[in-house]
Amino acid sequence: MKTDVLIIGGGPAGLSAAIETASRGLDVTIVDEASQLGGQLNQQTQVLRPLPSVYEPMRGFELANKLIEQIKGFNVRLLLNHRVVGFYADGSAGITDEENVFPVKAKKIIVASGAAEKAVAFPKWTMPGIMTIGAAQTLINRDFVMPGKEAVIVGSSDFAMETAIQLMDVGIRVKAIIEKQSGALAKEQEKASELSKNGIPFYFNSFIKEARGNGQVEQIDIELPDEVITLSVDLVCMDGGRAPILDVFYQLGCSFGFQEELGGWVPQYNHTLQTGREDVYLAGNAAGISTQGPLLLTGMIAGISVSEELQAISPAEANEMREALWKELGLLEDKEVYSGRIKHLENFTSPLLKDQFIS
Amino acid sequence: MNKLDKTTIICRCEEISCEEVEEVISNGGRTFDDVKRITRCGMGPCQAKICTSMVAEIIHQQTGLSPSEIPLPRMRMPLSPIKLETLATNSTSFSAVKSVLDEVELEEGKVR
Repeated sequence: MKTDVLIIGGGPAGLSAAIETASRGLDVTIVDEASQLGGQLNQQTQVLRPLPSVYEPMRGFELANKLIEQIKGFNVRLLLNHRVVGFYADGSAGITDEENVFPVKAKKIIVASGAAEKAVAFPKWTMPGIMTIGAAQTLINRDFVMPGKEAVIVGSSDFAMETAIQLMDVGIRVKAIIEKQSGALAKEQEKASELSKNGIPFYFNSFIKEARGNGQVEQIDIELPDEVITLSVDLVCMDGGRAPILDVFYQLGCSFGFQEELGGWVPQYNHTLQTGREDVYLAGNAAGISTQGPLLLTGMIAGISVSEELQAISPAEANEMREALWKELGLLEDKEVYSGRIKHLENFTSPLLKDQFIS
Repeated sequence: MNKLDKTTIICRCEEISCEEVEEVISNGGRTFDDVKRITRCGMGPCQAKICTSMVAEIIHQQTGLSPSEIPLPRMRMPLSPIKLETLATNSTSFSAVKSVLDEVELEEGKVR
């Protein structure tokens, strides 16, 4: 199979890159292992803001539907329930539908592989009932399954606070928020105060000492600064942060840099969102952990850069649009993340890891 | 990361404990791949997708190496588990068995 642009990942960044490229007449293929486009947006019921100026604030699944609606009119080939398993020596992607593996040769590849949640280890954290906040959110909002009745949340990021509120909304009793730092990490203070108002205690400088249970979690010991308390729960949601998913970049032989603000190891890229390999671009959380608005903007930038490379738009036009999008990104994105991104761009010519792909 | 109990599982696919990871580090291990080669940590079905960051954190705590000095693990093809039957597809245009072998460069039928 041949295509102009192969987009790996059909979440918000991949879809916005698809809109930019396909709307200029390029032949676009999206591959995603899920059965549905939209990625993590599908289980996000919280209102997303700020979004780029072309979108009004809306809920995650509404945004997913809007993006999917937009690509319908264009020439986009969808490979859903398909996975990339690796790359052939000639650069074509090996894609499987779980029955066959076939090569897809693309002129340009945009990798929007997203991020993975990190787990938090403590004794017996592998017991049933203990999961990441994202997993709990997927269960309640996408699968309509109650993951438990009485929960604790480990972590206090914005995402953890949103998930705690969603758990409460479906009738799960949130018994405590456990944070190892000395204060709540959430940037939107109103979410944390909404939880406190509902009588949910925040335990700072604290962590889970041990989980116990017969076949599933039943009790946890929490180590507070001056005592250890025991709570009976059947659900522990942990938030260890997120890190970019890098395996596709590694297989492609891209270079990497390290940027704490972007989630740790991140593929090295320049302001056109081109990676260390000429024909490979990236977008979304794979380019550094961020919120949904910036994810869409990076998808648009990557899409415009690829359109320029494939001569679907003029370099002057592309430059102008890219400038405007970077400016909007600077306004929309969390200041620390944005400055981390700018620092990351500066290291484009001197990545920490390169040529690591040796047979 | 919390203060880790020795028995805490780090790699849940292969059931590798914190103590086993620490032992590799005390014997000079400094990368995820060092830990992997000696303990099988990261060699289960998830292919190190969950334990990579935890092992890096333990290496950081034990040795003081900064996270940027702890390199990424080698990420091999296939990127996620796939049935051999699927990989050995009878596609006529391209042999997928060769896809795995693409990693090895051959010269006159021999590994270079």
